[in-house]
Amino acid sequence: MLRLNVLELEKSEYTGGKSSLCPGCGHDQISNNIIQAAWENGVHPEKIAKMSGIGCSSKTPAYFLGKSHGFNTVHGRMPSVTTGANMVNKDLTFLAVSGDGDTASIGIGQFVHAIRRNLDMVYIVENNGVYGLTKGQYSATVEKGSKKKKGVANEQAPIDLCAMAINLGCSFVARSFSGSKKQLTALIKAAISHRGMALIDVISPCVTFANNDESYRSYNYVKKNDEVLHILDYIPHFSPIEEVEVPEGEYEEVSLFDGSTLRLETLAADHDYTDAVSALSAIHQSEKDERHVTGLLYYNENVPTATDTLGLSETPLVELTEELLRPSPDSLDEINSGFRS
Amino acid sequence: MVMHKTQRHRGDYASSRFVRALGTKREMEKIVNDFVINVATANGTGSQSSNLIILHSMFEMGVPVSGKNLFPSNISGLPTWFIIRASDKGYQAPGDGTNIQVLMNKDTWIKDLEALEPGSIVIFNQDVKLPVDRHDCTLLGMPMTKMARKINAKLGKLIANMYYVGALAYLLDIDEDAIARALEAQFSGKEKAIEINSQAILEGREFAEENWEFDCQFTVEAREKDPNSFLIEGNEAIALGSIYGGITMLSWYPITPSSSVAEGIIKWLPKLRVDADGGSTCAVIQAEDELAAAGMVLGAGWAGGRGMTCTSGPGISLMSEFIGLFYFSEVPGVIWDVNRVGPSTGLPTRTQQADLSMLYEASHGDTQHIVLIPGTIDECFEFGWRVFDYAERFQTMVFGFNDLDLGMNRWKTSGFKYPDMPMDRGKVIKTQKEMDSIPNYGRYRDVDGDGVAYRTLPGSGLDPILYRGTGHDEDGIYSEDPQVYNDAMARLKRKINGARNHLPAPVVREEEQKELGVIFYGSMENTIVEIDDLLGESGLSVSTCRVRALPLHSDVEDFVRRHDRTIVLEINRDGQLYGIIRKEFPVDLIHKIHSVAYSDGMPPRARVYTEMILRVLEDN
Repeated sequence: MLRLNVLELEKSEYTGGKSSLCPGCGHDQISNNIIQAAWENGVHPEKIAKMSGIGCSSKTPAYFLGKSHGFNTVHGRMPSVTTGANMVNKDLTFLAVSGDGDTASIGIGQFVHAIRRNLDMVYIVENNGVYGLTKGQYSATVEKGSKKKKGVANEQAPIDLCAMAINLGCSFVARSFSGSKKQLTALIKAAISHRGMALIDVISPCVTFANNDESYRSYNYVKKNDEVLHILDYIPHFSPIEEVEVPEGEYEEVSLFDGSTLRLETLAADHDYTDAVSALSAIHQSEKDERHVTGLLYYNENVPTATDTLGLSETPLVELTEELLRPSPDSLDEINSGFRS
Repeated sequence: MVMHKTQRHRGDYASSRFVRALGTKREMEKIVNDFVINVATANGTGSQSSNLIILHSMFEMGVPVSGKNLFPSNISGLPTWFIIRASDKGYQAPGDGTNIQVLMNKDTWIKDLEALEPGSIVIFNQDVKLPVDRHDCTLLGMPMTKMARKINAKLGKLIANMYYVGALAYLLDIDEDAIARALEAQFSGKEKAIEINSQAILEGREFAEENWEFDCQFTVEAREKDPNSFLIEGNEAIALGSIYGGITMLSWYPITPSSSVAEGIIKWLPKLRVDADGGSTCAVIQAEDELAAAGMVLGAGWAGGRGMTCTSGPGISLMSEFIGLFYFSEVPGVIWDVNRVGPSTGLPTRTQQADLSMLYEASHGDTQHIVLIPGTIDECFEFGWRVFDYAERFQTMVFGFNDLDLGMNRWKTSGFKYPDMPMDRGKVIKTQKEMDSIPNYGRYRDVDGDGVAYRTLPGSGLDPILYRGTGHDEDGIYSEDPQVYNDAMARLKRKINGARNHLPAPVVREEEQKELGVIFYGSMENTIVEIDDLLGESGLSVSTCRVRALPLHSDVEDFVRRHDRTIVLEINRDGQLYGIIRKEFPVDLIHKIHSVAYSDGMPPRARVYTEMILRVLEDN
């Protein structure tokens, strides 16, 4: 029997073209999780806008959500294009993918300012610590001491995008691993349900240039050193709560903008996702331990979005007719006489 | 008090009008409405208010007058000059010399004095204890700072500038009511400021009357004023034009001399672009840099909005990568460049037309962009709204090209004219039915033969594609196929080429004898009449052709063809439009086209360019 989502659409409505990335690439797993999340969430594909910059990760919008418009822009500048599109059509769900070169180096300025504005978007960083398309140079997120397949170990301090985002007041900050299907899918769904900037930093091994055991972002290393904060269950707003398996033991529930819920079965009892200090502490502790902390790190629903702050018309600007966009002839007469007096 | 009678100074202009003054105190030939005042002050001393009061009071009297603010890249302290020219002939260039020099700034005192022609009039602040050793000039001193301090000790430095307003009003016979009206407009609603400054102007006038026994040969005489006319900066006209053009997203990064375009839009939006529930119908974002500003315009255009940014040359350099993406992915957008002096940081507060060739071919690879070039204040408004129509019609980024002179100085208009046509939203497919009516639809397929394909918008669900800056076929699918690439580039060329005769045609003023044609553009419009007259004095019959857009309208080529010789006149070093013409016009025309290009940061002075034209004609 064909499985349909709440919109009665098959999963195939959410798939895309064939990937041209290396076989086994973490990014392809993320694409599959995006497809799964968007389908299960029941978002209309035509209401999604896929955004990306340049790099291996930024090619992936061609491989998911083939029924959605998208823009594969220029290196590091995806956030500004998303900003302009969001201003004009705030009803679209902006789902963006970027890489660690795209976000942490060339595009770090735009990344920072998109967070600062609390742009309403899902921002997924497919973070492998190397520049893949130019054949494996280190990026700015790679850990000190981590070594890729060829060359020497990295000696520079890493930029932790999650810590940075929390410091900037980002309203939704999570980290995951491309191999953690359940956790990542739940986070992507929650990010789509969130209104505001939702950052998901996904460790995504580069199978070609940095999947050796000395690389802190190889499959083996991450599997062994994944510091999971909580087990996640996403409960969509359209689904009766009893259908969802209730985890045993202690759990917390995060209410999201669209009425959906993210249920956190707490493993690390001392983590408080509403507290920036607690979230930063978890990040810094895991860095110290040479581990990766994953899960919902920080969440704050009370941040106005970019369009809220600007007091824009309720109707998306793209739908406004000429009557509303071009002031009347009388108004111009008034301006002219105002200048004359 | 230095008082010094001088011989009558006739001024430089052969065209000066002489009339007999009928007044009580003088019996001399008067030069009416034909002189240049240069006011030298320091930046941040409030002198701009004084200068604008002089300018506006003369304008109120119907005197054809223009003002040029030569300001430094600085907030306070560096020298600034304001040039006011009255001209019954309507000449708006700054003039080639100074008739009345106002000296307030000790830092430029000596140099300003040295530069004067014998016979000039010098009004100076006596409290600046510097020598005034030009006894071939009329020297008129006034203790402006001391007098100002008596009115208000704290604000003395600012108020001192109002004394030269009073002095000039006395010397030139500027109507008291006109001064009062200009003062009121300048300090609109600030009663205390109006009171203090009005007192200072009066004291200045009285001091001059009592102490300067001098008959000034220059005078203003009221003319019939067009009751509809007013003065306004080009940038504000562009701002208003954009609002009437339905701008839905403004992104900008502050840079002189373009910031006042954005600030003008921000100022007018709450009055003009609010919906019934008080929501704004245009988003404004101060971007983190020019790269982001351009990216936001791209995003807005892609999503179906009318996005715009404004910047100057350095900003265009930064935006260039995105400009290529606009061109190749065919997204509409608007970028206004208000040209300042380059290269690099250059002279950031001076004027030039040296960004033209950069705009025309901005970004890497083969590109070409539509550029609209207003030359008048009315065109600033008109092109302000029209530019969006061109961007959406041709699905590309369109430049508006202004310069500091037209953008930041005040110019006369009789009132802006309401758009004479509805918005052109271009080829956007909104429904499945429309989609079905297009045979063999593809995002980049030229079904109409004009190079412009149809597009759909995100959110519509119609033919979703992934826009990209990489090579793509007619359906928007990634392709590195040589033929596909070549066809795509050929179509883009055809598209922009096809735009040329839809763009504003040149303004041609043609003489019967087709002896000499002068092609020019932009703010040179304000000097061309004077250049034309000066060339006429040399016995030349001159036709002029003001280019208003790139790519060039076919009328420009016809203009060249009809004339024996053509000069391309520009405010830059290299002759950038000349370069474009050389590249694009038929070879048989090139030998009769010559370049006259000059730029020193100043608004164009007629004599400088006239002499250059005469030299070039002599040599060729």
